[in-house]
Amino acid sequence: MTTQQFLTSAWTLNAAAFVASGAALVMYVRAFGVNRRIGYLLAGLAVFVLTLISPLNALASGYLFSAHMLQHILLLLIVPALLLMSLPRLVSLGPRSWLIARPLVGWIAGVGAMWLWHARPLCNAAVSSQFVNVVQISSLLLLGAIFWWQILAPREDERMSPPGAVLYLFSACVACSVLGILITFSPVSVCPIYAQPPVDRLGIANLVQSNWGITPDKDQQIGGLLMWVPMCLVYLSAIIAQLARWFAHPVPHAPLTEKAL
Amino acid sequence: MNGNTSITATVAHLLTPAERQHWKLAWLSTVDHKRIGVLYMLTGLVFFVVAGVEALLIRLQLAVPNNTLLGPDTYNWMFTMHGTTMIFLVAMPVLFGIMNYILPLQIGARDMAFPRLNALGVWLVPFGGILLHFSFLAGGPPAVGWFAYTPLSEAPYSSQLGVDYWAISLLVLGIGSVSAGINFIVTVLTQRAPGMTLRRLPLFTWMSFCNAFLVILALPILNAGLVMLLIDRLLGGRFFLPFGGGSAIMWQHIFWAFGHPEVYIVAIPAFAILSEVIPVFSRKPIFGHEFVAASTVVIVFLSLLVWAHHMFTVGLGHTVDLFFVAASVLIAVPTGVKLFNWSATMVGGRVRFTTAMLFCVTALLQFLIGGLTGISHATAPLDWQTKNSYYLVAHFHNIFVGLIVFAILGAIYYWFPKMSGRMLSERLGKWTFWLMTIGFNLTFMIQHVLGLAGMPRRTFTYPDLPGWTWMNMVSTIGAFFMAAGSIVFVWDLVTSLFRGKPAGNNPWNAWTLEWATTSPPPHENFDALPPIHSRRPLWDYMNPDRPDPVVPVGGAIDTFRPDKIKAGVLTFIISEAGFFGVLILAYLFYNATSQSGPGQQQLDVLKTGIFSICLFASSFTIWRSEAGLRANKLGKMKAWLIATIVLGGIFIVGQGLEYWSLFQSGVTVGLDLFATTFFTLTGFHGLHVSFGLLALLVVLGVAFARNFKNGHFPALGAVGYYWHFVDVVWVFVFSIVYIWPLIR
Repeated sequence: MTTQQFLTSAWTLNAAAFVASGAALVMYVRAFGVNRRIGYLLAGLAVFVLTLISPLNALASGYLFSAHMLQHILLLLIVPALLLMSLPRLVSLGPRSWLIARPLVGWIAGVGAMWLWHARPLCNAAVSSQFVNVVQISSLLLLGAIFWWQILAPREDERMSPPGAVLYLFSACVACSVLGILITFSPVSVCPIYAQPPVDRLGIANLVQSNWGITPDKDQQIGGLLMWVPMCLVYLSAIIAQLARWFAHPVPHAPLTEKAL
Repeated sequence: MNGNTSITATVAHLLTPAERQHWKLAWLSTVDHKRIGVLYMLTGLVFFVVAGVEALLIRLQLAVPNNTLLGPDTYNWMFTMHGTTMIFLVAMPVLFGIMNYILPLQIGARDMAFPRLNALGVWLVPFGGILLHFSFLAGGPPAVGWFAYTPLSEAPYSSQLGVDYWAISLLVLGIGSVSAGINFIVTVLTQRAPGMTLRRLPLFTWMSFCNAFLVILALPILNAGLVMLLIDRLLGGRFFLPFGGGSAIMWQHIFWAFGHPEVYIVAIPAFAILSEVIPVFSRKPIFGHEFVAASTVVIVFLSLLVWAHHMFTVGLGHTVDLFFVAASVLIAVPTGVKLFNWSATMVGGRVRFTTAMLFCVTALLQFLIGGLTGISHATAPLDWQTKNSYYLVAHFHNIFVGLIVFAILGAIYYWFPKMSGRMLSERLGKWTFWLMTIGFNLTFMIQHVLGLAGMPRRTFTYPDLPGWTWMNMVSTIGAFFMAAGSIVFVWDLVTSLFRGKPAGNNPWNAWTLEWATTSPPPHENFDALPPIHSRRPLWDYMNPDRPDPVVPVGGAIDTFRPDKIKAGVLTFIISEAGFFGVLILAYLFYNATSQSGPGQQQLDVLKTGIFSICLFASSFTIWRSEAGLRANKLGKMKAWLIATIVLGGIFIVGQGLEYWSLFQSGVTVGLDLFATTFFTLTGFHGLHVSFGLLALLVVLGVAFARNFKNGHFPALGAVGYYWHFVDVVWVFVFSIVYIWPLIR
């Protein structure tokens, strides 16, 4: 198989992803109507669906650890952030926020999702078992949303202050970089299921290993580096946004009107 | 004014009447941030002379081909000592000195948050410097470069004491730098004058504040590396020895994980100086204050991320190189745009080319050159060709001298009037400036060409190849121009101190608060402060008809003012977390595969588990003790405090017993990689528990000696934080060292 054949043929029809996205869209429109922010929702859902139906998913299911890592980053950091940004400014968790709107909870959710799913048994299970895979995807979305809530909560007063948010993002980046560094330089396989000769369902093992030259060692290195460098750049972008907010907005904590509540 | 009275007047500035009785100690025992700042700078000046002479010797050796002035060994000593001294004993102390003097004044504070800690920090500099130079008497200084790459710096290859002195001295200096970093952070957070919100901080202070975070994050990485190197050398450890199973590359990772941020630790203060001096002499506020302030945070962040670009030639593989090429090129964006900010500040301004301004503008230009060659090094293929050539030497001297030393000279011409009450001579200043600028460019511009022509660095001589000889001679002549410039500069400092024109409070018509007091400022800094509504309070005060727009207060965080002692301990904990982070990573890396040796099996998980429970329980007891204090029940407080000490003591005794039984069965530090990493990690944790116990005993003593009926005893809370931290570290250590082997 050539690369081109692979890129055109390795699309999977993941019905669950379409159904979940459709349901989310319908619920959004019924709750908030069609507004300016729906663009974020559409972008988020598009990334979500593409992550799960594109050749990336084919590679992640048994062939490439690095493809799995890219999926992981998209589902944990990009999709939930876009979904939160699509919520209108006035949405609040209300009394439930006492549990969610806490930096420590958010930090543990975001960083924990990274570390936990790269424990060897869990990482393997997420590839070999369909059920664990679904649990993984849902948990990444949920934990990512809790992580980002501290920063992207629709209402200004449920967010962290910008300097606090900078420290929050910075420390999360350090915690994930440490894992990325370990994966990059680890002499043993983090997710051995990718290192074994795969059950070559799609017949692309030769393409990946010979044509692309991605050996299992190099694969793990790319995976670790994805977590180490580009993922930190996601946090960095958020930090830049926080700094812009800190220096641009004259009074971040605007008084809330009765109507806003 | 004749010479005699002016000397008397200067002495009056240096010492208050009361101090003349005990003048010998007045400056040695000082805790005043201004005097400590001057001591930092003077120490830096002394070592500048030492390292400068070393540089001249290097250039003399290289002046002609096949030279025998210095032998190869002496040459290696010289470039090692020159590099180490210039970074750790010149650039850092001088910049810390300037910050020490100016930062509290700019925020309208009376002093630093922790004056005694400040004094400790300054005295650690000569202590570390003397340790380093003592190696000359103890068998010869280190000859391994300022980066001391392993395995060359390991005992089998460098058997003399030089490397040990190098490592211990850097450890001492590193601890001093962390203490200074903590002090800067806490000072900015807790000592600001009313109205000086975080968003109104002048750029010099803001950038120093950001830089202090880099100091407390980066230096502990080096400290961890140094203790690992020392354990290898002195206790027979195996961290970086390939034939013992260790990894020599690991040292490079640790060193550059510190080393790359270190470049920014000395560059950001230089940026801070430019951001202060250029606007004042352009008579305009800086163009894009917010951008400069925010991009500093981005630089701090990125600088911690890109160290691997120092290691392209190591052979990390194309994959790793690729990622770090991309990330390294990114750092050019925030830095590059800053250049536009400074240039745009000058555009349309009434620019006054005083000596201070000349140095800063030249720093800008030299940094442009150094920055561009820096980006060229971020490209891995070019880096492979030029890394070990004089092209790289030229590049980093453009940063370290062209940017940093020139900015420091600019800062001294700018702030000397404030520090001494007298102006430096503009005439001698111009001489200094031209000698330095011409000398610098003669020395280093031509080295770009030499490097591209293939001249390797770190070799003591070279053959008589076409073109090499005259270019090296030009370079050496340039170095002596710089030496002449330095002599004129020191002469200017000394003569102006006694005979300079009186400066008055604000000779440059500047805008920040340090100019709102006398020159030099009184011991308590200010009699009264102007109201602070913007980033240029003195401008507003002098121009009431056209003040800067008010910078509004942005919520509670903008006026955030935490408890001083707790903020100090929390900052310290951040830096300690970095230190333990490196030790834990090293443990994980070296024990990723199960060891076959006897070590791991000898651990008694159950017994250590019981001792660990004692340690975890002590977190509870100290929390109860604090609750007792809050409830004003002092008996309860003391009882729980004693319980904490007993539990911590049990843990230490337990660890001692474990060590004893391991020693008995032949498991010692040098046995294998497991033993080396195990004893390092648990040993440093044990050391921290012991320090915590000492602190708890001191607190207990104070609790018995004094009465805290009002419930105000912040030291208990501070020690409590530290104690919790030590316990949390043990959660990680225990799970990784004891539990992980059981479940994997």
